[in-house]
Amino acid sequence: MLSFLARRLAGLAVTLLATALVVFVVLEILPGDPAAVILGVSATPETVAALRTEFGLDLPAPERFLRWVGGLLTGDLGTSYGYRVPVAQLIGERLQVTLPLAFAAILLATLVGVPLGMLAASRPRSLRDAGVMVFAQAGLALPDFWVGILLVLAFAIGLHWLPSGGFPGWDAGLGPALASLILPVIALALPQAAILARVTRSATLEALQEDWVRTARAKGLGAAATLYRHVLRNALVPVVTMLGVRFSFMIAGAIIIEDVFSLPGLGRLMFQAIGQHDIIVVKDLVVVFAALVVVINFLVDIAYGIVDPRLRRRA
Amino acid sequence: MGFAWYRHPGLVVGGAIALALMAIAALGFVWTPFDPTRLALPDRLQGPSALHWLGTDHLGRDTVARLMVGAGNSLKVGLLSVALGLVAGTALGTWAASRNGSLLDEAVMRTNDFVLAFPAVLTAVMMVHLIGPGAANAILAIAVFNVPVFARLARSAALQVRSRDFVLAARAAGLTETRIAIAHILPNMAGLLVVQATIQFAIAILAEAGLSYLGLGTQPPAPSWGRMLYEARTYMQTQPWLAIFPGAAIALTVLGFNLLGDGLRDLVDPRARRART
Repeated sequence: MLSFLARRLAGLAVTLLATALVVFVVLEILPGDPAAVILGVSATPETVAALRTEFGLDLPAPERFLRWVGGLLTGDLGTSYGYRVPVAQLIGERLQVTLPLAFAAILLATLVGVPLGMLAASRPRSLRDAGVMVFAQAGLALPDFWVGILLVLAFAIGLHWLPSGGFPGWDAGLGPALASLILPVIALALPQAAILARVTRSATLEALQEDWVRTARAKGLGAAATLYRHVLRNALVPVVTMLGVRFSFMIAGAIIIEDVFSLPGLGRLMFQAIGQHDIIVVKDLVVVFAALVVVINFLVDIAYGIVDPRLRRRA
Repeated sequence: MGFAWYRHPGLVVGGAIALALMAIAALGFVWTPFDPTRLALPDRLQGPSALHWLGTDHLGRDTVARLMVGAGNSLKVGLLSVALGLVAGTALGTWAASRNGSLLDEAVMRTNDFVLAFPAVLTAVMMVHLIGPGAANAILAIAVFNVPVFARLARSAALQVRSRDFVLAARAAGLTETRIAIAHILPNMAGLLVVQATIQFAIAILAEAGLSYLGLGTQPPAPSWGRMLYEARTYMQTQPWLAIFPGAAIALTVLGFNLLGDGLRDLVDPRARRART
C-alpha cells in the first residue's frame, strides 16, 4: 500500500510540474506586456519599466519559472498584477463560492441521476425507462446557461422567490448565501444528472447480465434486494469514474453559469484575469486546477477500492 | 428486407430535426424575412406578431431572421471543428496504433489524456482569449478537443482491425503500412467514426453557443444563438421571449444530433444496442 501511495504521489508531482511548465511556456510566447496593459496607452516607457521590475518581469525566463514554482511549493502564489493582492487570497475567496456550488451540484446530480438510472434499468423497455431516457436526452440537450436563464425567468422575475444573481457572501448569513446558490446549483446539476442517469442505467443493465445475479435470484432473493445488495455496488465503478471527471470539470468549467448569475467564482476570476492580462493569476489558477483534477482522480482511485474490493488487490 | 423505421424512433426524429435545421440554415443563406443585421429602432423589443413572427430584439432586428442566419453559423462552426478534429485525430490515432507500444504511441496517448483531463470550456475560453475572438478561432479551439476524442477512438479501433487476418494477408502481399491504413483499416472503422462525429457535433454546437455567449465566438453584428441569449439577459424583465427562442434553437439542435448519433450507434454496433436496452 505504501509503495502504491509513493508511486501515485510521484506521478502527481510530475503531472503538476509538467502542467506548470506548459502553462509558463504558452503564456511566455504570448504577445502583450502585462505592465503595459495595466498602465494603458498613456504610460511612459519609464513607468512601464518600473512596473516590470516590480512584477519581476525583467528577469530571464528560466529564473522567473524557478521563482514561480518555488513560490508555489511554499504556498506563495505571487501577487495579482490587476488586483494588487496576493493571488492565494483571491483564489481563497473565490473558492468559497465555487466549492459549495460544485459540491451541491454534484450531490444533487447524484441524488437525482443515480436513482433514475437504476429505476430505468430495473425495468428496461418499460414506460418508466422511456420516461427516464427522455429526461436524460432533454438534460443533455439543454445548455446549462439557458436553463439558468429560464430558472431566473421563472423563480426570480416571475415568482420573486429567489434572487436573480449576485452573491452576498457567507458573512451575510447562511440563508441569503444559500438562496443565491439554489438556482445556479440546479442549472449546473441538470445536465450532470442526465449524464449520470445514462451511465448508471447502462452500468446497471450490464451488471444485471452477470451470472451471480441469476444465482442470487435462484436462491430466493427478491428483485429489489438483488438490485440494491448486488447490482448497485457493481454498477457503481463507472458511476464513480464519471463523478470524479464531472466534479473537476465543474470547479473550473462553471464560467458561463457564474456569468449568468453574477457569482464571484473561480471561473469568473479566470475569465477576468485572462481579459486583463493578469498572467500570474491565470498561471496559478491553471496549476491549482490541475492539482484539483489530480487529487480528485486520486480520491476516485481510492473510492474504487471501497466500492469494489476486487480492485484493492490489483492496485 | 426493408429497414424497419418504427424500430428506430430516435434515429428518425433526430434525422428529421437535423435535416430540417440544415434546410433552414441553407434557406437563411439566400432568404430571410428581414435583413438580420438591419437596425430598426422604432420596431425595437416587439413581441411575436404577424409581421415579426418571433418579435424583434433591442435594436429592432427580426428574431426569425437572426435565428435562421444563426443556424447557419452554428452548423458551420460545428461542422468545421468536428471535421478538423476527425481528420487530425484519426490520422494521429491510426499512426499511433501502427506503432503500438512504442514511445511515440505512449506520447500521443498521454498527451490525449492531458487534454481530455481539462474542462473543454475553460481551455477553449483561454485559447480564444489568447488568439483573439471570432468564429474561426472558436472553430480551432473546439477542434483541439475533438482531436484526442477521435485519436483515442481511432487508435483502439485500428488496433482491433490490425489483428485481423486480412491485414496480415495484406502485409504478406507486400503492402506498405500507409496503404494498409488507408485501404483496409480506415474503411473498417468508418462507421464508428461517423457515429462519434455526430455526437461530437452536438457537443460542438453547445460549446459554440457558450463561447459566443461569452463574446468569444462569432462576432457582432453577425447573429449567433449564444450571443442572442447574452443580449436577451438585459431585457428579461419585460421581453422574456428574447431569451427563450435562441435557447430553444440550441437545445433542439443538440437534441436532434444526439438522437441521430445514438440511433446510428445502434445501427453500427448492435452489441451496444443490446447493452443499452
